[in-house]
Order: sequence, then C-alpha cells, then structure tokens
Amino acid sequence: MILVFPAIAILISMGIYAVLTQKNMIRIIIGISIVESAIILLLGAISYIPDGVAPILDQPYDTVVDPLPQALGLTAVVINASTTAIMLALVIKLYNRYQTLDIHEIRKLRG
Amino acid sequence: MKKINFDKVFSFILVSLLGLFIMKVLYSVAGEEAARFTADHYISYGVDETGAINIITAILFDYRAFDTLGEATVIFTAASVVALLLPRHEASMLKTEFTPVVQQSIAFILPFLWIISIFLISYGHLSPGGGFSGGVIISAMSILIIFTYGYRYMTRRFNVKKLSLIEDIGALAFLTIGLAGIIAGGTFLANSQVGIYPGTPGELLSGGLMPLSNFAVAAKVGTGLSVIFLSLARED
Amino acid sequence: MIEIILMLLILLLVVSAAIALFSKKLLNSIITLSIFSALLVIILIIFQAPDLALAEAVIAAGITTSFFIITINKTEGVN
Repeated sequence: MILVFPAIAILISMGIYAVLTQKNMIRIIIGISIVESAIILLLGAISYIPDGVAPILDQPYDTVVDPLPQALGLTAVVINASTTAIMLALVIKLYNRYQTLDIHEIRKLRG
Repeated sequence: MKKINFDKVFSFILVSLLGLFIMKVLYSVAGEEAARFTADHYISYGVDETGAINIITAILFDYRAFDTLGEATVIFTAASVVALLLPRHEASMLKTEFTPVVQQSIAFILPFLWIISIFLISYGHLSPGGGFSGGVIISAMSILIIFTYGYRYMTRRFNVKKLSLIEDIGALAFLTIGLAGIIAGGTFLANSQVGIYPGTPGELLSGGLMPLSNFAVAAKVGTGLSVIFLSLARED
Repeated sequence: MIEIILMLLILLLVVSAAIALFSKKLLNSIITLSIFSALLVIILIIFQAPDLALAEAVIAAGITTSFFIITINKTEGVN
C-alpha cells in the first residue's frame, strides 16, 4: 500500500508538465483534470488503516478506516466537474473569437 | 526551433524537482498515527448521536453541514457562469439523430435510472450513496435524452428557466432546513444537537432531518449540472 | 495476492495518464481519460472508500467525458 505515494507524485508532475508545454488547449484542460484526480486518490489513500473496514457501521467493528478525508473528498469530486465545465466554456469562447485552438497562435495575435 | 527545446528541458527539470519534493513530503506523512481524535469520536459516538449508519453522510449533513452549503454554492456559481458566457450558434452535431433501435433502448432504460437515483437518495444514511450520487444520475438522464432524441425535444419540455427554478427551490429548501435548527434552539444547520427525532438506527425514517437534506441537495446538484450541459450544447 | 493486483493497477494508472497526455490525436486522449477514471474507481474500492468510488464513477465517467465531447464538436479541433 506504500507504493501509492510515488505514483501520486508522478501523476501531479505529469499533469503540471502538460500544462506548461502542450499546444492544444484541450490537452491543457485534460492535464488539470489529471492533477485533480490524483488529489482524490491521495485523499483516499491517506484514510486507509491496514485491516480496516468501510465506515458503514451496521454492527460494531474493531478497526474502521478514517471517514473524515473521504467526506471532504466527496465534495472535491463535484467541484472538479464544475471547474472543468467553466474551463471548457472559456475554450469555446476563445475558439469563437480566434478560430484556432493553438495557444501559440493566440499569443501572437494579441487581439 | 532551439528556443522551444530549451523551454521543454527547463520545465522538465522544474517539474521533476517538484515531484521529488512532493514524494519526500508524502513519505513523511505516510505511516504516522497523526491526530485521529476527531475520527475516533465520530466512529465511537456517531451512530448514537445522529441515528445514521453511514458515517460519511452523518459527517456531510450533520457534523459539517456548512461545507455542503459551500459546495452547493460552487455548483450554483458554475451554472450561472456557463449559462452567461455561451452564445447560441448553429452547430452541426445535433442534427444527426440515432436510429429507432437506439431510441427504443434508451426509452426502456430511463425509468430504471429514475428508480436507481431515488433509491440512492432516500437510502443515503443507510448505505453508500447519498444526495450527490443520486443527483448526478438525474443529470446523466437529461444528457442521454439530448444525445438520442435531439436538442429540440428536450427544450420543449425542460428549458433552462424551468430547471433553474427547481435548482433555486432546492437551495432554498436546504436553507430552510438550516433555519429549523435555529428555531429549535441550537445553531444554524444543527440536526442532532437539538434532538430532532434521531429514531432507531437502521430504519428508513431515522437521522433527524437528514433525508430532507438529501433530497434538497440532490435536486440542486442534478439540475445544476443539467443547466451546465444545456448551455454547452445550445444551438439556435 | 491483493498487493500484486494493487501494484498492477497503479502501474496501469500511470501508463494511461501518460497516453492521455502525450498522444497524437485528440479523440484518443479523451477516451483514455475515461479509462483512467475507471481504474481510479477500482483503486478507491480497494482502499475501502465506497462513497468516493460511487461519486467518482458517475461524475468522471459520465459527466466530464460528455462535456469534453460536446466541446470538441463545437470547436471542430480534431487534430
């Protein structure tokens, strides 16, 4: 279970690298979405206690996993979808104005 | 050409330094028996105090209900921004309709999606699910209708005005449930501290005002995401 | 036994994220993002978090993917 943490670091680095160097605007948004999903994985992995059960107590158990990061992660999932929707709406507006999805072209034109 | 290569190498070095730093921080957090006092209190006394079996729903709608109010505000803001930004223009996709085979299959599935979403919402305090999952399935239903039957078929029944009216009713219901806590003598959004009928754990009618909160949040989340999709797919 | 399955799933997660970010066509990236979300749901179930897995499954596999497909159709940037 301890192998999750290098994978989370690699996912965050790959997402930020895609935001810095990709040309297509939709690839940049996919990069941001991957960073947000890696944070959800981090919240799920922090709350794990070895040999624990899920926090639904229909009968008293011995060891239960930590319910607090999971509750906050549930809010984070819905917020991720909302911010991705706003970013995509901005991409559609930019395409209507400049007729291209290439971010180097838009930087050259400068309205 | 040389400048672009220098940019890529530089950002690769920066990003790998960031990755190593994050890995070092995460390993020092990993196996620590950090402050779990709050979680121990929630697990030991959660079922007795709130009457809900699902501890996560008890945290989201009773102990920390103010965070749920903040999240509902985020969805409301996102729906307003997307409906404001996007103009209507002539698109080419939604004139391609599907064959009657697909239409009949989707028409067969839609009532079962209703049943699944209402089951997830009303049994939110007894099994995994809750208001968020059920509400998102309701918005997935409207996305299916737009894809298979066309945009005009959907807006003849539910345009943006009607859906945002339901969203406002959901938000106001959640706030009224919060005011009921003040009337009963406690703080805002207090559910179990003032003793509003905890009930026996395991029944459907238990947990105070939690089932009503579940329905209000599900109405808000479902119609909010539907308004976002209708604004993105708007044509003519 | 479950340690080996978890290691395989985490490896597949990183590989699918790499394919989603650095592939040539745009449509391949979006479909691979959907596969990434499905693998994330299975890993969250192994970590005993059923509420998170349910919400992530419905949102990231249904809502976010259809948002991306509608945007590609409006901008016609299949490149």
